[in-house]
Amino acid sequence: MGSDIFEVGVNFGKMVLIFVMMVQIVPLLVWVERRGSAFIQNRFGPNRVGPLGLTQLLADAVKFIFKEDFLPEKSHRLVFYAAPIMALIPAALAFAAIPLSMPIEITQFEMLGSIWGPYRFVFQGYEIGIGIVFVLGVSSLAAYSLLMAGWASSNKYSLYGALRASAQTISYELALGLSLVGILLLFNTFNFQEIIVLQDKALAFSFFGQEVSLGWLPNWGVFYQPLGAIIFFAAMFAECNRLPFDLPEAEAELVAGYHTEYGGLKMNMFYIGEYGHMLVASALMVTFYFGGYSLGPWLTEETVNGLSQWIVESISPTIVYLMDIPFPESFAAIFEASQNKVNILTAFVFHGVFLGKVLIFLWLFVHVRWTLPRFRYDQLMDLGWKTMLPWALANTILTAIVVLVMRMN
Amino acid sequence: MSQLIPVFALAGFVIFFGILLVLVAALFGPKPKASKMKSMSYECGLVGEGQETTKVPVKFYLTAILFILFDIEIIFMYPWAIAYSDFIEAGQGLYIFGAMAVFLAIFIFGLFWEIRSRALEWE
Amino acid sequence: MMSAIFFYILATLILVFAYKTITANNPIHCALYLAITMINLAFLFFGLNAPFIGGVQLVVYAGAVMVLFVMVLMLFDLKSEIRAFSRGLFSGLLKIASAGLIFGILSNAIFKTGDLLGLASGGPGMPDPAGTSRDLAIMLFTKYLFAFEALGLLLLLVAVGAVAVSRIKGGTHAN
Repeated sequence: MGSDIFEVGVNFGKMVLIFVMMVQIVPLLVWVERRGSAFIQNRFGPNRVGPLGLTQLLADAVKFIFKEDFLPEKSHRLVFYAAPIMALIPAALAFAAIPLSMPIEITQFEMLGSIWGPYRFVFQGYEIGIGIVFVLGVSSLAAYSLLMAGWASSNKYSLYGALRASAQTISYELALGLSLVGILLLFNTFNFQEIIVLQDKALAFSFFGQEVSLGWLPNWGVFYQPLGAIIFFAAMFAECNRLPFDLPEAEAELVAGYHTEYGGLKMNMFYIGEYGHMLVASALMVTFYFGGYSLGPWLTEETVNGLSQWIVESISPTIVYLMDIPFPESFAAIFEASQNKVNILTAFVFHGVFLGKVLIFLWLFVHVRWTLPRFRYDQLMDLGWKTMLPWALANTILTAIVVLVMRMN
Repeated sequence: MSQLIPVFALAGFVIFFGILLVLVAALFGPKPKASKMKSMSYECGLVGEGQETTKVPVKFYLTAILFILFDIEIIFMYPWAIAYSDFIEAGQGLYIFGAMAVFLAIFIFGLFWEIRSRALEWE
Repeated sequence: MMSAIFFYILATLILVFAYKTITANNPIHCALYLAITMINLAFLFFGLNAPFIGGVQLVVYAGAVMVLFVMVLMLFDLKSEIRAFSRGLFSGLLKIASAGLIFGILSNAIFKTGDLLGLASGGPGMPDPAGTSRDLAIMLFTKYLFAFEALGLLLLLVAVGAVAVSRIKGGTHAN
């Protein structure tokens, strides 16, 4: 995790921050969803508590905490309580493996009387060389929380909901996994960082030995894999159990599906898992098909670097001047302009780019939910097995043939 | 091994956080007296049947086992996709394509046989 | 040093949960404990610098096979199964016999593997983590190509068999 106390501390704090980010996106998304649905359906939505209804979330959280902790009779206590905890794990572990921005290079610096560094901090929870397989594997554990919740509740509808949900998740996992083969054929790596770096340039490929270059477009996966991107995104909807694929929660048939018997904070934990999955889905979509944190020729690293250099150099003299009197000598160095601060600022600018892209996809999740009606269960299974799986196969074969023809000399 | 330490740390932290939430919910919630009717599982207000009598179609089992088979086939395509360009550069492009073409032919035959044999029909 | 500590922690976890798998009374608890064992095993592979195998272990065993087990166990009325298999002289003897059989097969396999492959000399050599999945692919598609294609056929046969079994009417759960 690190060679000295500073590195270990930064890495651990970063990981906790990323997890908190995932947990904190839930109330925000719930607010966006409620306001957005109201906007789509020409209603008001929550608008009484605080400005624009924003503190509604806080009120909800307080309400969640003070709800009764209910355990239905004949339920299996241990599994009943373990299921919501299990719901948090897959999304959190998967999200921490996705790079949220470029790695930060820190040169040697002096702090508290000793020399630290140099360090290289990745802007993600942890860097795993085999990122894609790891994320797929960890998110495939999500089926357990559904099954455990449905079975432990000792409720017929919960069990049906859990079975439907897990059958649906595993069915769409096939199309999901297969649509990624096209991306792997193109980029030939499992590593998210390498995939993003490969997309961070102008669109260029060789076409029968001729170099074709479109300088005004970034080299994003979606331009090579449009079909794969569509299949991936649709399968991700099913993985998150979101409308139009939210059969496990079909209120008219199953009360509330696998979490019928849950209430209060435990119910909320299932929501954290679901919205965490949406976040992971959007982040993966951005990483594979939309260039991750990079913007290709539209916003190169040099531009951002220059910009942050200018910002740091113009701001830190002001801070040093303002902070001049009350601080001892050793603290003044914190506010001086240095290459490290430029690097950190650059990384955060690209992190903003990444977040912007992710937010677009999160909004798509919300918009689709309030636009499309729900499928029937047989239609859902037919779509997964008979439509998306063959199309994903066709996409794989087509990509393999095209790559073979293009790259063969 | 050392690259796994953060993974374990995060998993431990998440489990700790989850247990904390469950404990908080158990501590702060009101604790009214449990009654027989109240603690019954909620099945639309009828007397709960529980899960013993629940009959589930064998389709779920079939779906799960077919999923495993196709999942294994798909996971074998991953190393192939990774090494594909290496083989092409070494001048063995047709060989590696043919190797996977045979495998894919079996895969496609299996998939279409499942569809034809109505194993994937849900009525 | 660090990796040794983690290896032993993981190995302890695996042993504890494997023991729980055998001793738990409720079959679903058994399956869940086995799932945790599988997840820990996957991380053990990650730790041994075989990340692709670890990922496959997560996707296939923890994510697919164990989900199937849990799902199937939930489908059945377990009361009669528990009664049939948890006590009685015959089922006890059966358990001991199968445990002995598995122990024999495993120990034989372990000893034979050492002879066949030859143990690595000069301590445990760790493969390069970046190159392993590519090396694995190259091995799989050159040296073991025939086994790979045969695996495709085998999977097809299993699929056909599963469909055929699901068509059978009758059995203990026919009504």
